[in-house]
Amino acid sequence: MADTLLISHHVSYIQKLGQSQDELAYHLTSHLRLNAIYWGLTAICIMGRPDALSREEMIAFVMDCWDDNAGFGAHPGHDGHLLSTLSAIQILIMQDALDKLDVNRVVSFILSLQQPSGVFAGDSWGEIDTRFLYCAVNALSLLGKLDLLDKEKTVGYIKRCRNFDGGFGSCVGAESHAGQVFPCVAALAILDRLDIVDYDTLGWWLCERQLPSGGLNGRPEKLEDVCYSFWVLSSLSILNKLTWIDADKLTKFILSAQDPEGGGIADRLGNMVDVFHTNFGIAGLVDLDPVYCMPAVLIEKMGLRKGWTALERRQITSK
Amino acid sequence: MHGVKRVHQSSEAIQARKLKEQAKITEYLALANDVLSRKTSEDWSLEAFRLTTRLLRTNPEFYTVWNYRRNICLQGIFPNSSPEAIYELICEDLVFTMNALKVHPKVYWIWNHRRWCLNHVPEGPNESDLQGWKKASWERELAVVEKILDADARNFHAWSYRRYVLASMPVSRTEESELAYTAKKIESNFSNFSAWHQRSKVYSSLCESGKLQFDQFKKQELELVRNAMYTDPDDQSVWIYHRWLMGAGDDSELLLQEITAIQELLDEQPDSKWCMECILHYKLLLLQKHSTIVDVKAVSEECQTLLKQLKAIDPYRRQRYDDLAAAVLRL
Ligand SMILES: [Zn+2]
Repeated sequence: MADTLLISHHVSYIQKLGQSQDELAYHLTSHLRLNAIYWGLTAICIMGRPDALSREEMIAFVMDCWDDNAGFGAHPGHDGHLLSTLSAIQILIMQDALDKLDVNRVVSFILSLQQPSGVFAGDSWGEIDTRFLYCAVNALSLLGKLDLLDKEKTVGYIKRCRNFDGGFGSCVGAESHAGQVFPCVAALAILDRLDIVDYDTLGWWLCERQLPSGGLNGRPEKLEDVCYSFWVLSSLSILNKLTWIDADKLTKFILSAQDPEGGGIADRLGNMVDVFHTNFGIAGLVDLDPVYCMPAVLIEKMGLRKGWTALERRQITSK
Repeated sequence: MHGVKRVHQSSEAIQARKLKEQAKITEYLALANDVLSRKTSEDWSLEAFRLTTRLLRTNPEFYTVWNYRRNICLQGIFPNSSPEAIYELICEDLVFTMNALKVHPKVYWIWNHRRWCLNHVPEGPNESDLQGWKKASWERELAVVEKILDADARNFHAWSYRRYVLASMPVSRTEESELAYTAKKIESNFSNFSAWHQRSKVYSSLCESGKLQFDQFKKQELELVRNAMYTDPDDQSVWIYHRWLMGAGDDSELLLQEITAIQELLDEQPDSKWCMECILHYKLLLLQKHSTIVDVKAVSEECQTLLKQLKAIDPYRRQRYDDLAAAVLRL
């Protein structure tokens, strides 16, 4: 079992992902392609290997995903959606290629998805989720267009999703879930409205996600998982309560989920790796901005970091 | 990817698998490209609809194809169909998505498609019963969610969908029947926090609408919780729900009563972290809100003792206990 972050393994794992056209799974996941590129790019950036993927090809691919009716789709020919639109913006920013973007059109697409209740739909079909609200807030902030957002309405919706345990759900009435606590708390951080959060209760709920293995689960009495570990970790980081869990034990848990042969990180020890868990596993260990889920140095440089602290580099030597 | 075991494959095995997949890839890509090019050329035919069925059966996550399928209905099929035909097609799509959910109970797009189907049930079957089809469809839907929750009682997609169905039904269910449902789920497994959560929401809505007051269900709920605590004192679900029942701690008598009751369990189970955690929390509430009726010094010392014990048995969260200990000193 690896006790260090296997950077070169992970870099080559991510590089190979783009060349797996001979695998059925590659084609069955085309609806997540742009998100996958964002995960892969973020991971190589925080591992200090931003050049591991071709910049020109990547930018061209992102621009091919533009859907004239609705922002960016996940793949050329796929429908636009808020999830892939945020990924596109994040990629273009990390590649310093925002000049390719028709900012006004993207912004008006994003704003058109806000519902009277304040939440955002993912696309014109109307599925609502606090994750989409976060995508909108994050994207508008990255584009410097937050002043166009009705903040009161947006915050009002998040407030109505708050539960007695301090957490937040996917919509009004839904159970608290780490994967929803993160977007709500991060959106509030961007909007300067963390006063909505009951720090002590939520901090308690979050730190109780850590299980004896060191990994964290997403809800009470569920299994631990590398991705949930990240949602909890980044939420705790935004609340400045990272010390409320045992970071060393968590580090060990994430490292144990690595594939020491092929590279990549799985949801937990012994399972199949994927690029999503690879990114969020690495993200839990090295310098990531917990609010925007992008390299901390970049967010710092853009002047977007406020009261929260970046997830610092853990003491793990790489080989 | 969640919960898929990693198996070590030799490079020969990988090559053999890839070779076998080649035909499948060719077939899949041909179908996907056909569907996407029909979408671009705005082909709203029944043939295109059937192709989306084939494609979605292989890949239910292909959201663009679900979107296209709905557009075929809206642009091509529905305008030329009788209400009976539309209703029949929607019923078929509900069966189709039900089968998909059995294999992929956590795919958002399948759940979304069901919502759309239900919202497009036409009026009918006749002038005298315009709501008939709608009522029947939403009723059946509740049974469908229950089936999914029988398979996985914590599926949060299903719980969210359940709330959506309950809120959308033309003839709404009583809150009492939802309480009965959550009770049934809790009794079959105390560890089902999703059901406890739903219960707290139903009670909250009954209280907000003025139909019920806390005192009317307090005793019964505390009994239910007590039962669960004794069954499995290590399960978080019940303790979190207990904290909901105690609310902000405005009722000092209730706090004292529950501290005593939990202390009894702690005496039986001296290592129970959750007993300690809850007693501590309620004692802190006593100090914060009822300092005039308690012996502040004694209770503070009890809190410090509990915090020391908690730190010893639950070292992962030691810093939180230290922070709380410092906060007690400042009280
Ligand atoms: Zn995961």
